[in-house]
Amino acid sequence: MSVKKHGIGHFLIILLLSMGAIILVYPLYNQLIISLTGTDYISRASGTTIIPYGFTLSTYKTVLAIPKVARGVFNSIFITAVGLVINIVFTSMGAYVLTKRDLVGRNFFITLIVITMIFEGGLIPDYFLMRKLHLLNSYWSVILYKAINPYYLIILMRFFDQVPSSLIEAARIDGLNETKILFKIVIPVSVAGIATVSLFYGVFHWNEYFRAMIYLTDELKFPLQVVLRELLISAEKASFIGSMNYLKVTAAAQLDIKAIKAALIIISIVPILAFYPFVLKYFVKGRLEGSVKE
Amino acid sequence: MKGNIQKRIVKDKQMYLLLFPVILFFIIWHYIPMWGARIAFQDVMYIGANKWAGLRHFKMLFSSPVFLKVFMNTIIISSMKMFLIFPLPIILAFMLNEVTSHGFRKSVQSVIYLPHFLSWVVIAGLFISLLASPDGAVNKVRIFFHIKPIAYMTSTSHIRWVFVFSEIWRSIGWDSILYIAAINSIAPALYEAATIDGATPFQQAMNITFPAIVPTIVTVFILNLGFFMNAGFDQVFNMMNDAVINHVDIIDTYVYRVGLKQGNYSLGTAAGLFKGIIGLFLILSTDKLSRKISGEGVW
Repeated sequence: MSVKKHGIGHFLIILLLSMGAIILVYPLYNQLIISLTGTDYISRASGTTIIPYGFTLSTYKTVLAIPKVARGVFNSIFITAVGLVINIVFTSMGAYVLTKRDLVGRNFFITLIVITMIFEGGLIPDYFLMRKLHLLNSYWSVILYKAINPYYLIILMRFFDQVPSSLIEAARIDGLNETKILFKIVIPVSVAGIATVSLFYGVFHWNEYFRAMIYLTDELKFPLQVVLRELLISAEKASFIGSMNYLKVTAAAQLDIKAIKAALIIISIVPILAFYPFVLKYFVKGRLEGSVKE
Repeated sequence: MKGNIQKRIVKDKQMYLLLFPVILFFIIWHYIPMWGARIAFQDVMYIGANKWAGLRHFKMLFSSPVFLKVFMNTIIISSMKMFLIFPLPIILAFMLNEVTSHGFRKSVQSVIYLPHFLSWVVIAGLFISLLASPDGAVNKVRIFFHIKPIAYMTSTSHIRWVFVFSEIWRSIGWDSILYIAAINSIAPALYEAATIDGATPFQQAMNITFPAIVPTIVTVFILNLGFFMNAGFDQVFNMMNDAVINHVDIIDTYVYRVGLKQGNYSLGTAAGLFKGIIGLFLILSTDKLSRKISGEGVW
């Protein structure tokens, strides 16, 4: 591989890849710039603005002060955090037990889980179930319906499979019960696996909007993605920032809709951008683990 | 033997205790809704038990011009994405493989994987802004070259292409990971030998790299085929608008709009079930195909 010549082909490939990468980030960059553009210049900002004229952070300050947005940030963090704990506890319980090859009924349980990956009751039966359980308009509806993702369960099984069985046997001989073995030994030595699966679940919860939109009715329970969607779709400032704010002519009423949208987009991806460089390798690992067959 | 099994079950009782909530989860959140899907064969009553309706809702569905349109849209949008996008991550992996600078390759990779982690709500927001007329970046460029701007998001002849391009934007990097991994596992000795024999980089790509990743290509293609009926709910749902609805409404958005929102629960569930059964058939047959070709199933 190291004996390649740097010909014109190599140069063209570098050029194409660089251009591709720039095109890929540009839409995000453009929104960042618009969100940082000063109030006096915002009316002239467009898709080709690449420098934030009249640089200001005040758009963010004002947008974060809109009750819906502030609550949205809180709700998203809450749903992601609580959801994640539940995901990891239950997914690792399932993965641990199903990794034990001589468990009576193992194949039956695995089949039971795999079936749910290829066939589902559908949106409307899901909704009816939620209503019957009186979980509509509760955070739990959004947290519980995907407490275990069968794909991630299988990924975690592959990681748990690599835990040396001698380690587990030794713990059994020491008299530890299975719950303790799982939480004190298997999970701590499978850091990479837990990290991978946590990240997938974390992104899932953070980006979740549809189920939240249909299960939750109280606006103050909406996660950030639902708030963002509402703004993008309705595209009407008055209804978004609330008529009360509008009549009082607060700071939010003076903001350009373009700037509000841009700031909200950036706010909703900041957590992903913040973690992304450090955790990318786990994502890639998970992608590869998830594709390898049993 | 029987006593043996009993003994093993008793020995593993803590294991079953741990598994119990997991299985309970799947029964509650997956199997009860499957059973609930029987309302496709019933009339939902607000008072008293539901009445049996047989296949009436399915008949209604198949004789509805709207559903026919929706079904066709699903197939068209899914085909466009599947066949037009499929080769791109492979080409990308080849290009990355030719890059000699390790640092440059890593930087490009970390940039192009990023869009995969953004929600379709955010991506829709980005594309609506990118394609806005006349202020979006694309139309700004068109105006610069004195070409008439286009309102892409509300243009019936462009919206499906917006789906294709935004899907490429989101997944080209992420989908190349498998091919990159397959290429990385090729023995370097093969390339060294080829170089000594005077093979050009292009010849090496065609005769060494490509044959080595054919199995991966086949597996990924078959897997995609199994999920053909998923034309991309989140994407369509967040990018659709009244101007283009007839061209983009797919089965999943129909289930939400007609079934849940307008309260035609049985009709909506029937549509979802119809899609689910086609999907099941596709997955089972692609699994069989995969076993025949590569000796391994999809699962």
